[in-house]
Amino acid sequence: MVGTGLLKGLGVTFKEMWKPKVTTKYPDEPYELPNRFRGIQKLYVDKCIVCYQCAHICPTQCITIQEKPKADPKQKKKELEVFDINFEICILCDLCTEVCPTEAIVMTSNVELAEYRRDALHKDMRWLEANNTNIRELNLPWKATSSSS
Amino acid sequence: MRDWLYEPLTLGRFAGMALLIFGLLNVVLFLVTYAIYIQRKLLGWMQSRVGPNRVGPYGLLQTIADVLKLLTKESFIPSHVDRPLFLLAPIVAFAPAFVVFAVLPLTDRIAFSDIGVGLLFYIGVASLSTLGILMGGWASNNKWSLIGAMRAVAMMIAYEIPLVLAALGVVMQAGSLNLTAIVASQETVWNVVPQFIGFLVFLIAALAELNRTPFDLTEAESELIAGYHVEYSGFRFAFFMLAEYVYLFAMGALISLLYFGGWLPPHPALSFIPGGVWMALKTLLFAYFPFWLQATFPRVRVDQLMTFAWKGLMPLALVNIVLTAALKTAGVV
Repeated sequence: MVGTGLLKGLGVTFKEMWKPKVTTKYPDEPYELPNRFRGIQKLYVDKCIVCYQCAHICPTQCITIQEKPKADPKQKKKELEVFDINFEICILCDLCTEVCPTEAIVMTSNVELAEYRRDALHKDMRWLEANNTNIRELNLPWKATSSSS
Repeated sequence: MRDWLYEPLTLGRFAGMALLIFGLLNVVLFLVTYAIYIQRKLLGWMQSRVGPNRVGPYGLLQTIADVLKLLTKESFIPSHVDRPLFLLAPIVAFAPAFVVFAVLPLTDRIAFSDIGVGLLFYIGVASLSTLGILMGGWASNNKWSLIGAMRAVAMMIAYEIPLVLAALGVVMQAGSLNLTAIVASQETVWNVVPQFIGFLVFLIAALAELNRTPFDLTEAESELIAGYHVEYSGFRFAFFMLAEYVYLFAMGALISLLYFGGWLPPHPALSFIPGGVWMALKTLLFAYFPFWLQATFPRVRVDQLMTFAWKGLMPLALVNIVLTAALKTAGVV
């Protein structure tokens, strides 16, 4: 019959009105990102052996590392003095976390980095250590599967 | 307040009337402000979005911010326009939109006039707005404006006729053009039942009169940018916008008066709720109904529009008149 399509269309829009919305209220309500999302790195200062692999692989050379002078000359383990990531140029490419032999640096799914001053984007080792929410649970899945099998 | 209309005009009554009219203007402006908000919210919800939610709680101040932005804009007149007509057009478009409220009785107590030819006055004055649109479109000296304005006029001619013919059925049944008398004649059963064909024709023709989707050819964004008000901005654009939305409420009120018993409750048992509430509910329902259509339907083509008006609605309205006359003669209604 002529005109039933119109009523059908009205029904579709009417039902759509009560359904949950596709868009989110992001800044008002937090938006859950997947756990493997490449966000701001978390650093475990104690795990770091100061091997410089992350600084070498970094495509934008945003990581600055300095070794702490050893108090006791017989001490073998190296310790961190400075570990800065410059988030002005960091592209969150995940390479530093991939090469790290001790998983001292891992990704989190936090992304909010907006600052009023550019200086504030140079995050130091204390700040990176304190960034301990939404940490990636399994850093290198292929290693985990190969070791278990 | 209705009593004042039959008593001699004193300075006090004049001042009271003027105050009430000013109050009505403010109510109408408020309704328009929030009609735009509700339109955007409804469209958002129907398109799986949340709609405006940034300015104020739930975005309630969004339209107010938009209006302030419009009013603080530079009052710009392009150099190539026909200046007097360009300046006059927004006023000619808006003034009738508010004038028609004079003949719309709001309840059995509140009415700003009680003239015998209320319906005729409404239809006559409402047509004047098209003149403002044509003036604006012509004076803008722009092809989009002119095409939009020509479409508005063509649509007005095509759809005013079925609109009036459909309303004629109601007039025949009530035996009066006075809107108060028309409402009074619906005491037992609302006109929408005996005049159902007329109601459908009237509703469709009213949508076309209001330039709402699916008949929004005059300001078809995708073809004509914004139609007749392409060259307008700031305050003058706000006037065109205002006229469009004020008509939405005027037409909503007219539909509820003609077909849904105005301030009469749906059932006598519900008469403890004041008539003003019923009138407001019905008016708002029919004022917001076009937004639902806007979210649903695409725009029709010009030739489809004309064919539909002259070959579809016109004969249907005429059939409605003949049927009403036959039933009236037979004494059924």
